Amino acid sequence: MLQDIITPHKHLLPGDAHAELRAQLSRSSRVTLLSGNLTANAKSEVSGVSARVYKNGVYGFSSMAECSDDAVRAVLKAADENARFMDRRAPAGKGPLTPIADGFRPLAADISDPDQKLYADFARAIDAYIAEKYPNLSSRAVIATSDSMEKLLITSDGQGGHTISPRSYMYVFLNSETTSGTPIELFEAYGGSGTFDLNFTDPAGLYGEIDKLYERLMQKREGVYAEAGMKTCILSGNLTGMLAHEAVGHTVEADLVLGGSVAAHSLGKVVASEKVSLVDFAHTALGVEAPLPVYLDDEGTPATDTEIIKDGVLVGFMNSRESADHFGMKATGHARAWSFSDEPLIRMRNTAVLPGTDKLEDMIASVDDGYYFISTNNGQADTTGEFMFGVCMGYEIKNGKLGRALLDTTISGVAFEMLKTVDMVSDQMTWTSSGFCGKKQPMPVGCGGSDIRCRVMVGGR
Amino acid sequence: MHDLKMIADKALAALKDNGADKAQCAVRFTETHEFNVDGGKFSLFRTLFDNSLSLTAVKDDKKGSVGINRLDDDSIAAAAVNCLAIADSGAADPAWVFAEKSENGFFTAGAPEADLDLLFDRTEELMRQIGEQFPLILMEQMIVTHKKRHSVFKNSLGVEYETLSGNYEISLMFSAHEGEKSSSFFGSGVITDRLDVPFMELGTIREDLENVSKQLDTQPLEGKFTGVAVFPPSSLGTFIGSALGNFASDGTLLDGTSPWKDCLGKVVADPAITISATPLDERIVCGERFTGEGFRSENYDIIKGGVLESFMLSGYVANKTGLPRAKNSSYAIVMKPGETPYADIIAGIERGILVGRFSGGEPGTSGDFSGVAKNSFLIENGKITCALSETMISGNLGDLLKNVVAISSEVVCDGATVLPYAAFGGVTVSGK
Repeated sequence: MLQDIITPHKHLLPGDAHAELRAQLSRSSRVTLLSGNLTANAKSEVSGVSARVYKNGVYGFSSMAECSDDAVRAVLKAADENARFMDRRAPAGKGPLTPIADGFRPLAADISDPDQKLYADFARAIDAYIAEKYPNLSSRAVIATSDSMEKLLITSDGQGGHTISPRSYMYVFLNSETTSGTPIELFEAYGGSGTFDLNFTDPAGLYGEIDKLYERLMQKREGVYAEAGMKTCILSGNLTGMLAHEAVGHTVEADLVLGGSVAAHSLGKVVASEKVSLVDFAHTALGVEAPLPVYLDDEGTPATDTEIIKDGVLVGFMNSRESADHFGMKATGHARAWSFSDEPLIRMRNTAVLPGTDKLEDMIASVDDGYYFISTNNGQADTTGEFMFGVCMGYEIKNGKLGRALLDTTISGVAFEMLKTVDMVSDQMTWTSSGFCGKKQPMPVGCGGSDIRCRVMVGGR
Repeated sequence: MHDLKMIADKALAALKDNGADKAQCAVRFTETHEFNVDGGKFSLFRTLFDNSLSLTAVKDDKKGSVGINRLDDDSIAAAAVNCLAIADSGAADPAWVFAEKSENGFFTAGAPEADLDLLFDRTEELMRQIGEQFPLILMEQMIVTHKKRHSVFKNSLGVEYETLSGNYEISLMFSAHEGEKSSSFFGSGVITDRLDVPFMELGTIREDLENVSKQLDTQPLEGKFTGVAVFPPSSLGTFIGSALGNFASDGTLLDGTSPWKDCLGKVVADPAITISATPLDERIVCGERFTGEGFRSENYDIIKGGVLESFMLSGYVANKTGLPRAKNSSYAIVMKPGETPYADIIAGIERGILVGRFSGGEPGTSGDFSGVAKNSFLIENGKITCALSETMISGNLGDLLKNVVAISSEVVCDGATVLPYAAFGGVTVSGK
């Protein structure tokens, strides 16, 4: 656990500017088995201190890979000098940030760092199960991984805290070929918030999930290409979550709004059908703990939910303290940093399309000729909201019934146009949290959603 | 300032003391200075002092790796114990490689010392020039960095390298705006070790700003055609990287899924295609001097005149597959120019697309690709006409390499790669 070397230096925070001082310890572990070959078996632990100083609308930042009194003094000095350099060379002429209340969030619970052997043994057990039960695969990969961020923060407002955010996952990739020899792949990530030893106690607990993944791969072997064109489709919660994050969430991050995203002109306007509501949850979603809970951000703002779309209308942005002042909104805890050497950026936490009242079976029954897309292996979107998602598993829907499996395809569209075509939303939620969001720095994020029926462009082959 | 050689010696000794049969370590100090522009305005100045120490050990053919950033004696000792424990948790594999001692070296590269005032001046100059020459452009984010690196690599077989290097990086993310109209965003960037040239004139920064300024008014393509796709260096690098990653790299050769696995010495591309990995090329800034396994880096050809000359394999996968090891880590990709001026390539195309950016998933080992052509233009009757929206391109990477229409005589160097403009046939372009 991090020793508190920063609180004793609170008196060194500059008196004429807003400042943050942070110590951070980040850990990661990874074991990779590629068709039985152990190609990676590694652990990483990095720690250090950083300081950020805000002066008249510009920031200075400095970090050092040491957790020592000297390092704290050095980064505070360098950050202050950098802020003064920017204020002199590129004056922004802004006032101070709106203060936040005093407070300190103490550490809820410490975590253990499991031995690497636990990861290796678990991965080997899963790999052995796949190798023995499914010898006809062309290749397979099994990855056991975890990461955690422990942070100690104080700010010149008096707000701060001590937090730890661990998560751990098992990835399984299964590869085969279609009858015509085209390589196909499916993968799944299992796990979530928490350390590896608590999330993965028995390999047999995953066997059923792996069997389902294999079954889908075999359906995909006999799969057909989707027909290109605008289609009525049902997107599973996995894809809806990807849409919520990539095609809507990024466009309403206030720094990207200031950078010219489509949302700059859409606040208060209808951007989706009235069946669509979208929220970025901080730590509790729909009555249960969110996949990757955030209680305090790295500017010292206690994290609360951010309502983005309400009944089809764009109602809010995600803000840092500075952007919240700019837009006259409330900061709700989105400013987060990945490593001790990273400055806080506006990031999502747990972004989701809220469930509706429709039943998935009724939604499928309502489609005469379309597709049910259930898994995605990648997704990209523009600040215009134009998106493209890879679909690696799906089915035809013919006359209200699921048909043949699909080979890989893509869907694309413009989020604020496509969301207006949503006319059914299921009553069930699906969350994912294994990936990283990339925006200068990586960041663990959760995204989720319900099945939606919509019109979307299908890429075909 | 840490004594990196002493730290490396301590780390190696600790690994050996804990039972390593073979060991290596890499210790690095990095000092970073970085100016940030957000939403068209200067926002942040960062100064970072970072360390890293990576330890690798093999015992009884079992390998473990640990990375830390604390360089005190207790942290090094704990990391060494941890590294051997990790190795012990693994499986025996005799294929792990540690380079034998050949020629140790001290390398200096680039500009180790930063001129921060001039760096700020050049950044300010670029912002001013963009405002004057490209008034529609809004800079979502610009990051201008200088990194100084000092590193020592040692292994238990006597290999020792020391490197002192430094370079500037300019990274831009921008879009064009007029009222509520907006283009797609576009990223441009270069690596350089000189500040004597305005940033506007480096790489394709000026060309990228010009193109994006013309993308405010886009049209969706009607229908579908199969034609020529022209890839400028920025998107060509993406496609070449995908093709080589799928067909010639560690992962797909190790699991046997590469369609090129039996093609060494055989034709895999058009004779016009020669692609090399040349970190020692003087146009590559701070190119690799040794690999992660400790081998001295040498330039090599991946594809020469259409023939697959080498895979991009690490020593480990070379041992696993019986194929030859690549002579470097294959980051510095250089493609040989052709004989046709870029303007003549465009003039010779009846119907095609200029692909500014590809937004799509990473193609699988089949090489099939499908995605949105972003920041792209339609080419009709030898002219670049309208900017496109909601247009998809699809094809196969392997087929693409065999279907060259022309490769430009011009090349663009961004400090990390040297690439021409290239036109390929047989690409499916589809609209609404």
